[in-house]
Amino acid sequence: MSTYWPWWAGAVGLALVTINYTLVTDRSFGVSSAWDRVLHWRRERRLERMEEEFTDDQALVEALAAATAEHFGTGAGAPAAPQAPYQVPYGESQPPPPDVERTPDETASVTGAGPAPLFTQAALLVSVFLGGLIAAFTSGRFQIRYDMGPGFRDLVTADPLTMVVLLFLGGVLVGFGTRLAGGCSSGHGLNGCGRLRPVSIVATAVFFGTAVGVSFLLWKVI
Amino acid sequence: MRTRGAVLLANIITGLALGYVVTNIGFGDYAELNRMFTFQDLRMFLAFAGAVALIVCVFALLRVRRTPGRIHAGVVPGAVLFGTGWAISGGCPAIPIVQVASGYLPALVTIVGVVVGIRLCRWAGTRYFHLDRGSCEL
Repeated sequence: MSTYWPWWAGAVGLALVTINYTLVTDRSFGVSSAWDRVLHWRRERRLERMEEEFTDDQALVEALAAATAEHFGTGAGAPAAPQAPYQVPYGESQPPPPDVERTPDETASVTGAGPAPLFTQAALLVSVFLGGLIAAFTSGRFQIRYDMGPGFRDLVTADPLTMVVLLFLGGVLVGFGTRLAGGCSSGHGLNGCGRLRPVSIVATAVFFGTAVGVSFLLWKVI
Repeated sequence: MRTRGAVLLANIITGLALGYVVTNIGFGDYAELNRMFTFQDLRMFLAFAGAVALIVCVFALLRVRRTPGRIHAGVVPGAVLFGTGWAISGGCPAIPIVQVASGYLPALVTIVGVVVGIRLCRWAGTRYFHLDRGSCEL
């Protein structure tokens, strides 16, 4: 039984994981979101196909806009792009190309880089398991057990049936709660708080605070 | 570096590293988790808070784009349910996976619970609560 990492090593490790993912993919990752999408893979596949078709349409619209602008010039009065009439009133001096360019930026700022493809989310979950397995074996902590360890036995219950019921109910609360709140300790806690998103800070404060309260109850009262 | 192959590779590396780091910090150990939540041992709490602080600094330096998110009606109730479940079962959605990987077989029950909870939320969400999340989910 070896000891766990000191706090600073853990902090650097968690930070590197999050920062690396963001820099490579320009996205946030969230384990509960990965679970959600993998569990609803049929619906997600349908959405991905729709998204691909939409991207094609968008590319067509942009190509038409560019061709029209080239043909008629980019003057103020020119009907430069199919989407222009509701964006650029006639007579306004602003030329249309910035409008054409701005649209993808706006889309990106609202949706991020779009959700990661579904199969990559399944790969994330499998990799978490493999990473845990490597850590357990290399640290010599791997041990097949039919209980949750002495901590759970002392603090919660020693009865196997009660343990199974509580683990199941706890799991349901975790699954339901993370999806209702829109994220978990990785999605809200690391990625969201790291970006200082107000919703993530509120969610993290509330789930951490609740867990503190319930843990004190388990420790002192029950 | 935003191709599907790169995103897949990033997810595999992130998953491996996350599982490895989280296990070595001790998040899969119920006794350690309870000691963190009851402030008997600040080591894991500092690991988490330190990680957030580092991420905030690096993201600010690199000017990483902030994604919007509305504080919708589900955030606080959802976080309360999650916090309760985490304290009881010891699992946020990644933890039961690393618990099973460490040999804690009952954590498979927690995983089944998480699966049921997530499906229940999607089912209830489409029928009963119509939350305006203001953006894509995390």
